[in-house]
Amino acid sequence: MRLPVLLAALVAVATCTETFVGHQVLRIVPQSDEELQKVQELQDLEHLQLDFWLAPRGLGLPVDIRVPFPSVQAVKAHLEASGVSYSIMIEDVQALLDEEQMEMLRSSRQLPLDTNTFNYEAYHTIDEIYSFMDLLVAENPNLVSKLEIGRSTENRPLYVLKFSTGGTNRPAIWIDTGIHSREWVTQASGVWFAKKIVQDHANNEGVASILETMDIFLEIVTNPDGFAFTQTKNRLWRKTRSKHSGSICVGVDPNRNWDAGFGEAGASGNPCTETYHGPYPNSEPEVKSIVDFVKSHGNIKAFVSIHSYSQLLLYPYGYTNTPVPDQQELHEVSAKAVAALSSLYGTKYKYGSIITTIYRASGGTIDWTYNQGIKYSFTFELRDTGRYGFLLPAKQIVPTAEETWLALKVIMEHARDNMY
Amino acid sequence: ELPPSHFPAARAAAVALGYLRYLRGGPGRGLQLRELRRARRQDIDDVGHKYYLELELEDVLDKDRTVSCTAEVLYHLGSKSSAPDVQVTVQGELRSTEEADQEFYNRIRSLEEELVAENIPDSHGNVPPELEPIHLLAWAASGYVIWQNSTENTKFHLAQVKHVKQVKRSDEDLQFDYVVLLHEMVSQEVLPWEVRLLWHPRRGARVSR
Repeated sequence: MRLPVLLAALVAVATCTETFVGHQVLRIVPQSDEELQKVQELQDLEHLQLDFWLAPRGLGLPVDIRVPFPSVQAVKAHLEASGVSYSIMIEDVQALLDEEQMEMLRSSRQLPLDTNTFNYEAYHTIDEIYSFMDLLVAENPNLVSKLEIGRSTENRPLYVLKFSTGGTNRPAIWIDTGIHSREWVTQASGVWFAKKIVQDHANNEGVASILETMDIFLEIVTNPDGFAFTQTKNRLWRKTRSKHSGSICVGVDPNRNWDAGFGEAGASGNPCTETYHGPYPNSEPEVKSIVDFVKSHGNIKAFVSIHSYSQLLLYPYGYTNTPVPDQQELHEVSAKAVAALSSLYGTKYKYGSIITTIYRASGGTIDWTYNQGIKYSFTFELRDTGRYGFLLPAKQIVPTAEETWLALKVIMEHARDNMY
Repeated sequence: ELPPSHFPAARAAAVALGYLRYLRGGPGRGLQLRELRRARRQDIDDVGHKYYLELELEDVLDKDRTVSCTAEVLYHLGSKSSAPDVQVTVQGELRSTEEADQEFYNRIRSLEEELVAENIPDSHGNVPPELEPIHLLAWAASGYVIWQNSTENTKFHLAQVKHVKQVKRSDEDLQFDYVVLLHEMVSQEVLPWEVRLLWHPRRGARVSR
């Protein structure tokens, strides 16, 4: 048993890749306390290197385990000896990954050569998006620069594009997309926004006038670890990929990890849930890097965090029923922004505070930014309303980005015209 | 009276929609909510909360038309195991799908090998045209699950059909064993559910236990 493991490890080190050849994903649905216990015992057997895609949660709830090839026989023997039935969900994980890779390559996917031939109507990998950013900077060095504001848990760089026509520490607008990795239309829209800003500036229209007095910061892949995970393992992964001691479950909800009502109702203390707030505020480097950036910049006037789906424009608070002091103004700006958005394709949005419009949520991004004094703090939930949900067809990327941009312009112009 | 932009009305509307999709959905009909026009809530002592809704619906296969309907959704007090009571009245006619239904039925019945499919839509939102009817039947199947499992604190949507397998039957029904992924908005969890759906052009959809 030892030799194959050693060989596999060596091969992995030599080729710098992890392979899933022969790995199987087993599903167990514990029907009794004994069965549940047997499955939970597996979690402690570290040498098996089991990867729980669905952790044991209770009777009747499925447990999905990726079992590395060297451990497959042992795990099956353990289950069979204990009388625990299982099914094989994936016979060979690598085969599935290879298939996916091929599919991604098939859809005319190469590293882009310039931002004019870049395909804005398709979903892209992290590498393609990072490559796009470098191209955009290279093509527009007097307008665009790339800042690294930190590193993710898995050590991926966190990049922010800065659009500036000069000045020193001008009042600024912040936009982020992709903080929840499964919301793919948002990263894709972020890429489109970046190009749009450059185009407007070149043609002296649209946001060109805003750029005369303000800077725009755009973080496109705000949660790169999660995004990579959605491309390779689980398309519906939401959180970061951090591992905190005391739990086998992975990831913190980056939109519950901010220091505003942290840990209160509207987030979960259970690491195995999608709204887990994390062990303490800003535990996630993806969040902390933005917090540090905002504080040290000190002159951000509008902050927009973009999510999908539901077609909503939201302002604070999510963690309390108390309305924000600027409620009326934010409500009016929202009405105007939503009207502008609808004017393009008739897409209907609702708007309001987070807590009245979707649900109570604590530790959220824009609650923190608002409490820092950034009055124009908004969150978008982009298309659609559930027909495709997170799996929005690629052909809707550009229409979504176009209509959302009209709403963003309303917010940016209002911030510019109501400087505080 | 409830503001339609606030979540309690939206959650009740999602239940009504799930129920209606189960009742009236099929391979040729995909009902969607175009707009929630009005909502009222009535608190009934010792019974529960009853929502009265005015909805405007559209069929994804026929988006130029809309249909109005009213719905009543009663969430029972305190019980976790009781499905909400739902009544829906459709004003006017839904577009007939007789021909498309029969065509689909004949196509599936004549398949040599039982149909198997995965990941509908795929990661990029694609649904191959020949699988769209299977996708819409999944809406009917998940509509049942959503109706049965909703509370005032949940809002479910079908995120993806993870797996579907047709099972040939000796009677006249078509049988599809689905594994659907339901996205629950409040907890943000994605929950897999196994649903067995029977369907017949005239008898419609039924979830089999």
